[in-house]
Amino acid sequence: MELVGEKRIQALFSELRLADEQMIPSFAGVWNRAQAQTFRPQRAFNLSFLAATALLVCALAALALWSRQWQRNHDALVSVPPVPTAGPAQVAAATKGPEPTRWEQRRSSSKSRALRLAARRRALLVAADRKAAHEARTLASWESPTATLLDSSSDELLKSLPQLSQTVDELKSFLPSSPK
Amino acid sequence: MRIDRQIDGMDIAELKAELETLHSASFGWALSCCRRDRAEAEEVLQTVYLKIFEGKARFRGDSSLKTWLFAVIRKTAIGEHRKNLLRRLRWSDPAEQAAKQVSAADEPGQAFEKSETQALFQTALKTLPRRQREALHLVFYQDLSLSEAADVMGISIGSARQHYERGKKRLRESLGQTEVAYGIGWRKENPGAV
Repeated sequence: MELVGEKRIQALFSELRLADEQMIPSFAGVWNRAQAQTFRPQRAFNLSFLAATALLVCALAALALWSRQWQRNHDALVSVPPVPTAGPAQVAAATKGPEPTRWEQRRSSSKSRALRLAARRRALLVAADRKAAHEARTLASWESPTATLLDSSSDELLKSLPQLSQTVDELKSFLPSSPK
Repeated sequence: MRIDRQIDGMDIAELKAELETLHSASFGWALSCCRRDRAEAEEVLQTVYLKIFEGKARFRGDSSLKTWLFAVIRKTAIGEHRKNLLRRLRWSDPAEQAAKQVSAADEPGQAFEKSETQALFQTALKTLPRRQREALHLVFYQDLSLSEAADVMGISIGSARQHYERGKKRLRESLGQTEVAYGIGWRKENPGAV
């Protein structure tokens, strides 16, 4: 037996509606409040919008700094001349010169650091090239350990063809030896 | 304050009159969308009127004004509920929340809901999934057709029918169970009455 039918549900909802009708706020009140809210000055800025903007600005600034740094390093690597070997005369000339300022010292130290970096990189590249060449040579000279087993006395015979200009005697050498 | 502007070709005074006729039904629907929280329902309704007034919600005449308004109320209620949840997660003090809940339950308007049958009905209704509850409310409370209910809920009529049927079945079952349990309890308490 169905205890609660559709009509029962309908009746319960009707009861609920009647109860709700007693606590409906006045339309004018709600409408006026909404209207008053419309004319309220909007907040000058949204907090979340501000946070997002700040984050974006920070990210852009970091990107700009990073790209600048990268560009500087790249330029230093590209424009660095080969490391000169300083002779005694040059060393003497350098020591005799005027005292370098702090700025010049810093500049020269950064320059020498860049030179060292470039030299190290070049050395690494040369070592890599040498290693690759050595490996290529090793590969080219490699021979299978069982290759000698494939050699036989008739290799020459099988690998060459009779020529038209050869004599009969020479051609006979290609024929199987018959018993005499 | 006099407003002499138009919202999508509809005079604001005209719209206001239409909204006023739908106000009680709108409030009932808002109450249902806000899990019977009167204050929240009122706030939602106010936000909806504000949206209409500012032109954020526009009636284009694709459906009836009632179904359009109900759809706006539903969306607004969902949004407000989400916002409130976040707000509670961020700032709330558990003791304050508990006090608020107690005061909401003690509102004079909700005294009716304390009657046995209605209390059982309310409990059973609250256990239903949201879509099923919405479908039942729109059909039984608001006297809308299933197609109109589907429009309000933003789903196909087939889905609306499914939610409606399942909701009805579940509501029947849970009401039946609670009534049987209530009857058994009553008979145990009053053995001489039967």
